[in-house]
Amino acid sequence: MDIILNQYYLQIVIFVLVNAILGVSIYMTLSTGQLSLGNAGFMSIGAYTCAILTVKAGFPVYLAVPIGGAAASFISLIIGYPALRLTGIYLAIATLGFGEVVRVIILNLKITNGALGISGIPTLGTKISKMLSSFGLSRFGGLTAQQTSNLLVLVVLIFILAFLVFFCTRLNRSRVGRAFASIKADESAAEAMGINTTYYKLLAFALGAFIAGMAGGLSAHLTFFIGPKDFAYHRTVEILSFAVLGGSDLIIGPIVGALLLTMLPELLRSASEYRLMIYGALMVIMMAFRPQGLISEETVRFWKRKLGRRIKQ
Amino acid sequence: MFWQQLVNGLTLGSTYSLVALGYTLIMGVLNIINMAHGEVFMFGAFVGLFLVNYLKVNIFVAMAGAMVASALLGILLEMLALRPLRRRAVSDLAPLISTIGVSIFLENLALKIFGPQSQAFPAGALSGVQLQLGPIRITLVQIVILGISFGLMFVLRFWLSKTRVGKAIRTTAESIETANLLGINTNKIILLTVALASALGGIAGVLVGLSINAVEPTMGLSMGLKGLAVLILGGMGNITGAMLGGLILGIAEVFTVAYGASSYRDAVAFGIIILILFIRPQGLFGKRQGGRF
Repeated sequence: MDIILNQYYLQIVIFVLVNAILGVSIYMTLSTGQLSLGNAGFMSIGAYTCAILTVKAGFPVYLAVPIGGAAASFISLIIGYPALRLTGIYLAIATLGFGEVVRVIILNLKITNGALGISGIPTLGTKISKMLSSFGLSRFGGLTAQQTSNLLVLVVLIFILAFLVFFCTRLNRSRVGRAFASIKADESAAEAMGINTTYYKLLAFALGAFIAGMAGGLSAHLTFFIGPKDFAYHRTVEILSFAVLGGSDLIIGPIVGALLLTMLPELLRSASEYRLMIYGALMVIMMAFRPQGLISEETVRFWKRKLGRRIKQ
Repeated sequence: MFWQQLVNGLTLGSTYSLVALGYTLIMGVLNIINMAHGEVFMFGAFVGLFLVNYLKVNIFVAMAGAMVASALLGILLEMLALRPLRRRAVSDLAPLISTIGVSIFLENLALKIFGPQSQAFPAGALSGVQLQLGPIRITLVQIVILGISFGLMFVLRFWLSKTRVGKAIRTTAESIETANLLGINTNKIILLTVALASALGGIAGVLVGLSINAVEPTMGLSMGLKGLAVLILGGMGNITGAMLGGLILGIAEVFTVAYGASSYRDAVAFGIIILILFIRPQGLFGKRQGGRF
């Protein structure tokens, strides 16, 4: 039990979960075949909105996080509308520029505290344990207060991730999800079938931005401090590499990618020093040998068939 | 004041044009965006710095050396990151992601080798002579930058439109299949184009390193973004557009700094991207369909 509740392991699992949520955010945009390089920018909008609301305006966290997501989503509509009317790489370029500009603006604004960043953000764990102790539930069995709050954060994150997975699988079976898939398969054909491609691409992009903004708000309330450097271009590349490694056909792909790539530097100490170089090399190699990522629809079908046969025997 | 700023803007803009030409050449021929171009630019700057600092060569020799080294890097990029993708049909995003991988790899390699601090060219690399032309004061560095950038741009223009190889490049840009049928070795032409584009990026790196007197591993990202802004401003794959678009962006940035918002200088490029996408998505000089170069 002590091993499972080890502070360090819990921390890693929390990071894995936040990264998995970010992986879902890039999956959302990729599910229409568009590449957004602004996820770190949306994350920072969510994080700063959320942190300013809780630290300076005294909002409760459960309200501030969705508001941060909504703010990111709103801005994404302004960026996305001109870029998504066109096909191809325009969105990638516009969002790449956008990410840099958000960084410049945050560095210069007073309310974001410039390069110093915002510190003293109440962590999610302390908020939750405060709430619990007001109900008179400060301890569970033999757990310390710290362990309890970390476990509860874990539960909240798992719940959010599970909801997102549920939402995406339901979405994929709906009219909207089918429109996404057809745009990804062939945009001109989709348009010829009467699908308003701009509308659906924009919808996917805004949903992705909303999730990224929420993840930003959550991560602000997990790390105590946010600064403009946390959301630089490297962060986007990191998020993108989750989807590249795991695959972006199915929602499980980026989640597995996030799991593997977050665990890697923890398992291999030397890997943490060369982390970004490994991500870079990984992207080149994956694109050359397995552009669909580790997990594609065929992989799932293959294993289903194989396992199904074994059950029959 | 105005004329002085105009000259400064032209100098800055001519380096943007050089970088954007690299994007445009690759965009025109391969129809992809080489996201690693900014890092090729950074690599060129470091090669130039190394040649001047350690081998004590003349600055112009260093520029030539940077061009050659960047061209070799470009060839490596083509062979490792782009050619494997052409062999099979993959989505449009694959080369984009692959070159993003190359860019992040190169940037962090440079951080590992050279460290994050910025380095400068030695003071005597190019004498700090200043010329006074009426109200304008122009430094020797600026003259060299303007001379080399415009010289290279006109040579490139002439070479593409008049020579046999230039024609082959333009044919490949129209259609790789047709060019193949006409007996052009398109693989060789693509290799040549990427090498050429990278060489232009490399020399731009040395020129920018000279003018702001700082060479650092992260200079590739912001320059790459500006090159992309120029690419959209001038129209994808349009050479005249890249040249004039670079000058427009340079002048716009210098005037932003001169008349007010100096800390928002890097936001100008993005503002231009969004504005152009709203008003004229094909770029200032682009046509709606086809017709490259």
